[in-house]
Amino acid sequence: MKGTQLGEFEELVLLVVGVLFPEAYGLNIREEIINQTKRKVAIGAVHSALSRLEEKGFLESELAEGTHERGGRRKRLFKITASGKQALEKNHELRNSLFSQIPEMALKIV
Amino acid sequence: MGLQSTYEPPKLAVKLLSLVCKKKLFEEIEGDLYEYYQGQREEKTKRVANLYYWFHMLNFLRPFAIKKLGQNSNTIIMYRSYFKFTWRGMLRQKLQTSFHLLGLIMAFCVCGFIYSHIKYESSYDSFLDNADDIYRVAWMNQNPQTRTPHPMAQALADDFPEVIDAVSISPIYGSGLTKATVLLKNEKNNITFDEPNGYFVDSTFFDVFSFKPIHGNVKEALQTTWGIILTKSVAEKYFGEANPVGERLTFNGMEDMLEVAAVVEDTPKNSHFRFNFLISYVSLKSLQFNDPWMSWDDFGHFNYLKLAPGTDAKAFEAKIPDWAPKYLGWDEENVEALKTGENKFELQPIQSIHLHSNIRWELEANGSYSYLLIYGISALFILLISIINFVNLNTAKAAQRLKEVGVKKTLGAYKSQVVSQFIFEALFTTFLALALSFVAMYMLETPFNQLVNGNISVADLYQTDVILVLLSIAIVTAFVSAIYPSLYLNSFEAGQILKGLKTTKLGGSSVRNGLLAIQFVAAILMISGSIIIKNQISFLKNKDLGFKQENLLVVEVDDFQGDLEVMKTSIQKSAGVLDVSLVSNVPGGQFNQHPIYAANNPSLRVDAAEMFIDNDLATTLSLNIEAGRMLNKEFSADSSGTAFVLNETAIRELSLEDPIGKQLNWVNNEQLVKGTIVGVVKDFNYNSLHVPVRPMIMMVPTSFGYNYLVAKVSPANLKETILSVESNFKEVYPEGSFSYRFLDDQIERLYLEETRTLKLTTLLSAISIFLACGGLLGIVSIVIKQRVKEISIRKIMGASASQILWLMNFKYLLIAGVSLLIAVPVSVYFMKDWLSNFTYQIGIDPLTYVLTAIAVLLLIGFTITLISMKTVKSNPVNALRSE
Repeated sequence: MKGTQLGEFEELVLLVVGVLFPEAYGLNIREEIINQTKRKVAIGAVHSALSRLEEKGFLESELAEGTHERGGRRKRLFKITASGKQALEKNHELRNSLFSQIPEMALKIV
Repeated sequence: MGLQSTYEPPKLAVKLLSLVCKKKLFEEIEGDLYEYYQGQREEKTKRVANLYYWFHMLNFLRPFAIKKLGQNSNTIIMYRSYFKFTWRGMLRQKLQTSFHLLGLIMAFCVCGFIYSHIKYESSYDSFLDNADDIYRVAWMNQNPQTRTPHPMAQALADDFPEVIDAVSISPIYGSGLTKATVLLKNEKNNITFDEPNGYFVDSTFFDVFSFKPIHGNVKEALQTTWGIILTKSVAEKYFGEANPVGERLTFNGMEDMLEVAAVVEDTPKNSHFRFNFLISYVSLKSLQFNDPWMSWDDFGHFNYLKLAPGTDAKAFEAKIPDWAPKYLGWDEENVEALKTGENKFELQPIQSIHLHSNIRWELEANGSYSYLLIYGISALFILLISIINFVNLNTAKAAQRLKEVGVKKTLGAYKSQVVSQFIFEALFTTFLALALSFVAMYMLETPFNQLVNGNISVADLYQTDVILVLLSIAIVTAFVSAIYPSLYLNSFEAGQILKGLKTTKLGGSSVRNGLLAIQFVAAILMISGSIIIKNQISFLKNKDLGFKQENLLVVEVDDFQGDLEVMKTSIQKSAGVLDVSLVSNVPGGQFNQHPIYAANNPSLRVDAAEMFIDNDLATTLSLNIEAGRMLNKEFSADSSGTAFVLNETAIRELSLEDPIGKQLNWVNNEQLVKGTIVGVVKDFNYNSLHVPVRPMIMMVPTSFGYNYLVAKVSPANLKETILSVESNFKEVYPEGSFSYRFLDDQIERLYLEETRTLKLTTLLSAISIFLACGGLLGIVSIVIKQRVKEISIRKIMGASASQILWLMNFKYLLIAGVSLLIAVPVSVYFMKDWLSNFTYQIGIDPLTYVLTAIAVLLLIGFTITLISMKTVKSNPVNALRSE
C-alpha cells in the first residue's frame, strides 16, 4: 500500500488525537491545532486527514452519544491504534536521530 | 426543558451538504458544523456566522467526503456515453456541426457586442453620485435649447427647498458661439497647448457633480479668483507627475494669470460634457464689468439642479412658470406663453440627456435612441434566425436517430433518459459556441469599435448581466431545440422502431416551415430596412444644400488679433485659391441667435440665427441671391452693421412682402440695432439636414466677429494649395498655429451616426441572409435524403431534371412568397415611422421591395438547386437498389 507514510499535517492531527484522549473528535481537534500552532485550519481539512488516517489504520473511531449543542447529532471519537503509535514513534526517532547527526558547526552558523 | 435554545444553521447549506456528502460521514460532519455554528453565533453576527458556515461547508467538498460518483455510478456512465454520442455525432457531420457552431457564434457575438454598445450608450452620467436627482434646465420653445440664464440656478436653489444644490456652467465660447480653445502656457518650462474644453463654473460645481479631486481643495479652488482646476491628464501635460497646485499658467498670452488650485480626475468618456479645465465665475465677476451675459436677459448658460431625493421633478417643474416671471421681467405676452406651457423650462434628467435630448448647443454630440433601437432589433433578429436554424436542424435530424433511440429503449432507457440525452447534446453545442464566441469577440473587439466608432471593451462583457443574458439564451436555445426531437422519438414503441418503422415520414414539417417563414420575414425586414436606410443616407449626403460645399477650405482665425483684411488679401494671393471670405460661423456648426422684428410690426418677433459676413460670402459659397444685393463694406450702412441680408424663411416668418428697403430691428442682448433689409438669399441648409432651415440674418460686424476664413480652392493640386495658404498665413501671423479643415468633411461629421448605422445594418443584414440560407441548405439536404427514392422513381418514369428541381423548390419559394407578403407591409410601416424622424426624407421606393424579393427568391432557389443537383444527376438505379 502506498499510503502508510505519515504526512506533516497528518502527523499533527495524530498527535493531537493523542493529546485530547479520550475526547478527540473533529471540532476540538481543529481548535487544539489552531490554539497550539496558530495555523488556520478548515474543519473539512481536519476531517479529511482523520479519514485518511483511519484508512491507513493509524486511528480507530466509534460514535458517541449525541449532545444538545450538536443538535442531537452523534460525534465520532478517535483513538490512536497500535500501528498509529508505532508510526508516531518511528517518526519521532527518525527525527531525533537526524537532528543529533547535524554537526554543531552547522547549527552555530544559523 | 431548561436547555438553552440553539441556532439553526443556514438550511440551504445543510441541504446541499446532505446531497453530496457520503451517508456514513454526514452525521458527524453536520454535527461538527452545527456545534461550530453555535460558537460562531455567540460571538458574531448572524451574517458573518452564516458566511463562515458556508465556507466550512464548501470546504468539505473534497474527494474523501463526497459521494462516490466514479466508475460505479450509473449517472456518470450515462453522461459519459451521452458525451461520446455527442462528440462522435459532431465529428460525423463536420459541415453541419461547423455551420451550427458558426451560426450560434455569430449570433452570440452580435448580441454580446450590441448589448454592450447599448449598455454603454445608456450609461451616460450614471457614474455621478445622486445621478437620479440631477437635472438640467432646458428652455423649450419652438426651437428648444439647452441654455438658460446664469442667475437662474442660484435663484432656484435659494427659493425652493427641494433644490439641494444648483450650478451654472458655460463652455468658453468665442464669438458667434463657437467653442473656443485657449492658449495655456507653463512659462517655467515653456510648454504651450491650444487647450479645448474650458468651462466657467459656479463654486457649487462639485456639490452637484461628484468628480473626484486628486490634489488641492476643489471647494476653495472655485471660490478664489483666477484659480484654475485641471484634470489629471491635462495637469500631466504641463507639469508632469508632480503635484501642480500653486503653479501658474499663462492664459491667452496674459502672463501667469492663473494659479493651479486643484486637480481632479479626468471626465469619464460617458459623460455628456467633458472638461479639460475649469475656471470659476468668481474670476469673471471680479472684473466688475456689467455683462448682460451674466444677467437674466441672456439664455446663455447651462444650469443643473440637484433635487432632494424623492422629489417629483414634473411637479417641481410645474412650479417654475409662476416663479420665473418675477426675475425675467418679460412683457405679458411672453409670461402668458410661459404660463400656458407654450414655452417652458423643462427639467431634463441628466442620465437621459445623451440619448433623448439633442437640442441646440449640446455640449458633446448626442447619441440617438432610434438608432440604438435599430441595432437592438437587428441583433435580436440575428439571434432569432440563428436559434431557429439550430432548432430546425436538430428536429430535421431527429428521424435519422430513430434506430439509436430504439436500441436504447430496448436496453432499458427511460423516456426521461432519452430527453436528457438530447438536452445534453444541445447544451453541449450551445455552450461550446458560447465559449468560442467569447474568443471571437476578443479578436473582433477593435474592428467592431472602429466600425461603430464605439467605446466598448470586451473586458466589460465579464459582468454578471451580460453573462447571465448570454447563458440564459444558450440554455433556452438548447432546451427548445431538444424538446421536439425527444418528444417525437419518445412517441414510438421501441419494438415498432426496430421492426422497421417507415422513417421516411418526418414529422413536424409544418412547425419547421413556420419557423422558416419567420426567418425569412426577419431577413427580408433587415435587407429592405438597410436598403431604405442606405437610400435615406445617400439622399442626405447628396441633397443640394443651397450652397456648394465642395473644395472649401476653412482656416481658423479666431485668435488672430491683427487686421483680418490683411490676412484675407494675403491668402487670396495663394496659388489655387479662387475666392476668400471671412465669416463668424460656417455651415454645419452652431449658430447664435437673437430675435428680429420688422419696425412696422414689433409684435411679430422671430428668432434668427446670425452670421457675420463680408463682401465675398455669396461668391465663395455660391449662394443664390433671391432679391436685392449682398453686403458690401463700401457702403457706410453696411460696414456699420445696419444693413441686413435675410434668408427666405426669415422673410416668410416675418410675413414681409417686398422686403428690400424695409426697416428691421435686431435685438442683440436688449441692445436694439435698427437697420434696413438690403438683400434676400435663397434658403441654404446651414444646419444639419436633421432640422429644417430656420430664419437667418447676415450682417457685417462692427468690431470683432470673424472666426473663420473660408477659401474656395481649385480641386487640382490640393496639397500645394494648402502649403501655399499655410505659408501666407504664417507670413501675416507668424506666432499663430495654422489649423484648417474642409467644409464637406465637417458636414459629413454631422451624419456620423447615420454612416455608422448604415455600415452596421448592412453587415447585420448580410449575416442574417447568410444564416437563413445556411439553415435552409441544412434542412433541404436532410429532406432530400428522405426523398431520394421518390426522386429516382420520378426520373425513371421520365421526369426531367428541371421538373424535379421545380418540385424541390416549389414549397420553399411558396414559403418565401408568404414571408414577403407578411414582411413588406411591416417593413413599410416601420420604415415610414423611422423616416418621419427626418426633416428631409426620401420616399419609400417600391423598387426596394422588388429588389429585395428578387434577391431573396433567387438566393433560395440557388441554394436549393445547389444542394439538389447531386441527387438529381445521380443514377436512379443506385438509389433504388440500396437496402
